[in-house]
Amino acid sequence: MNDVAITVKNLVFNFGRLRAVDDLSLEISAGTSFGLLGPNGSGKTTLIRLMVGLLKPASGNISCLGKPPTPSNARNVGYMPQLPALYAELTVQQNIDFFARIYGLRDKKKRTQRVDEVIKLVDLYSKRKTQVMKLSGGMKQRVSLGCAIIHQPPLIFLDEPTVGLDPELRARFWDYFESLTRSGSTIIVSSHTMDDAAHCQKLAFLRGGRVIALGSPAELRAATGTAEATMEDAFLYYIKRGEVKENAA
Amino acid sequence: MPRNMLTIANRIINQLIRDRRTIGLLVFVPLVIASLVGVSIPDKALLDYIAPAILATLILFFGFLLTGISFLRERSQGTLERLLAAPVSRLDIVGGYLFGFLLFALLQTMIIFFYMVYLLEVSFRGELWQILVFQVLIGIGAVCLGTFFSVFARNEFQMMQFIPLIIVPQIFLCGLLWPVSQMPDYLQWIAKFLPLTYGVDGIRTLMLQGQNLLDIGREVIILAAYAVGLLILAALTLRRGTSA
Ligand SMILES: Nc1ncnc2c1ncn2[C@@H]1O[C@H](COP(=O)(O)OP(=O)(O)OP(=O)(O)O)[C@@H](O)[C@H]1O
Ligand SMILES: [Mg+2]
Repeated sequence: MNDVAITVKNLVFNFGRLRAVDDLSLEISAGTSFGLLGPNGSGKTTLIRLMVGLLKPASGNISCLGKPPTPSNARNVGYMPQLPALYAELTVQQNIDFFARIYGLRDKKKRTQRVDEVIKLVDLYSKRKTQVMKLSGGMKQRVSLGCAIIHQPPLIFLDEPTVGLDPELRARFWDYFESLTRSGSTIIVSSHTMDDAAHCQKLAFLRGGRVIALGSPAELRAATGTAEATMEDAFLYYIKRGEVKENAA
Repeated sequence: MPRNMLTIANRIINQLIRDRRTIGLLVFVPLVIASLVGVSIPDKALLDYIAPAILATLILFFGFLLTGISFLRERSQGTLERLLAAPVSRLDIVGGYLFGFLLFALLQTMIIFFYMVYLLEVSFRGELWQILVFQVLIGIGAVCLGTFFSVFARNEFQMMQFIPLIIVPQIFLCGLLWPVSQMPDYLQWIAKFLPLTYGVDGIRTLMLQGQNLLDIGREVIILAAYAVGLLILAALTLRRGTSA
């Protein structure tokens, strides 16, 4: 069995009176891609922000690579927020270079090389001197991904990374994510699309801040009892089942 | 100096340089104000009295407004949270802002200074470097004040509303227009708690009486204390887990 990259135990987080994460426990193996799926407001972003250390849990425990998610652990972590958080006045290159420096790529030559490499990876080489404010939504999303992976962290959190990407780029991103897990990185991806889900090695379906199902895509599809069930069917199946249980309770 | 602080300062400078209008605002508005003061006050003694105070007031005003709005944007656009997810300390962030902003503030101070001294012929008997050092002290307080108050504003408009609340009373009570010692007792008492009072007093002494920073040690110490206090307040607003 693989090493564990992340352990979450009985995690609770409230926004005022709203319980956004409700007694949630998870274990994520190192070197795998783990998908967080769930409807709007199910707590995906909140869970990621907790695991990155941006929110403090009301109770429960998080361990990322054996340590609590504190700033001292931040160098090992890549984070792509749901909405691109970029400096609009700066160019693509300046944004990615800024994060490269912040994450400790000191050597100027190596940094420039790495920044170029990442810009090519997100397919923005022709736009590298363009101010971010002049990019399309999908392009901003790609810059944001570039900033998250610039320092080649062992642990990467991607909050809906494929939203707004065209199919070709999405396929390219997944190729890249797979190459990352092969080289030992752990990737946590949140998503709505079943296409993303199918790419993950393991999935958690979230609803109301709880995990309602956990397993590989094949396992989750099989649980619906239909031979040709798609990921979409599996997702709806678990959501329905959750509602039935709630009504019964 | 921590490397991350320089990286952040460098970013702030790049952002400001690319924002032409703000650069224009930083350079031309002070010149317009200085010209209006120069033209509207025919009395040389009164002009000498007011002109230095304008240097101190403008650095407070722009320091507060620019950092307030920048931080507000960083909070609402998520770039502050994104940065807090990276291996940076709060000191890196505040320090980066200070260096980045003070560079422009000192440039502004020099432009107004030369304009006042050489074109408006305001009396000057001190040394420029001492004025710049003193301005930095006021500037640190202003930047931290803006950082701190940006937490309490939801948008740019709300940030502007702090100006009549926080900046304007200081302008009237600091002795810019009228000596504090001739104000009613209760106003003098309030003025004692406002940093700009010490800023205006100090810079006036530096410019007009040819005294040095040691001579205005009291003002320097009080402003330094304000700067440190506000620095701590500003850093407290930059914690992880506060920007829910
Ligand atoms: N800043 C906030 N203040 C108050 N409540 C919040 C805040 N952010 C999220 N919530 C609430 O917490 C719950 C979980 O939100 P979260 O953003 O984690 O959902 P999500 O699964 O990421 O949704 P989406 O798919 O829309 O991104 C929601 O009910 C939401 O209303
Ligand atoms: Mg979300």
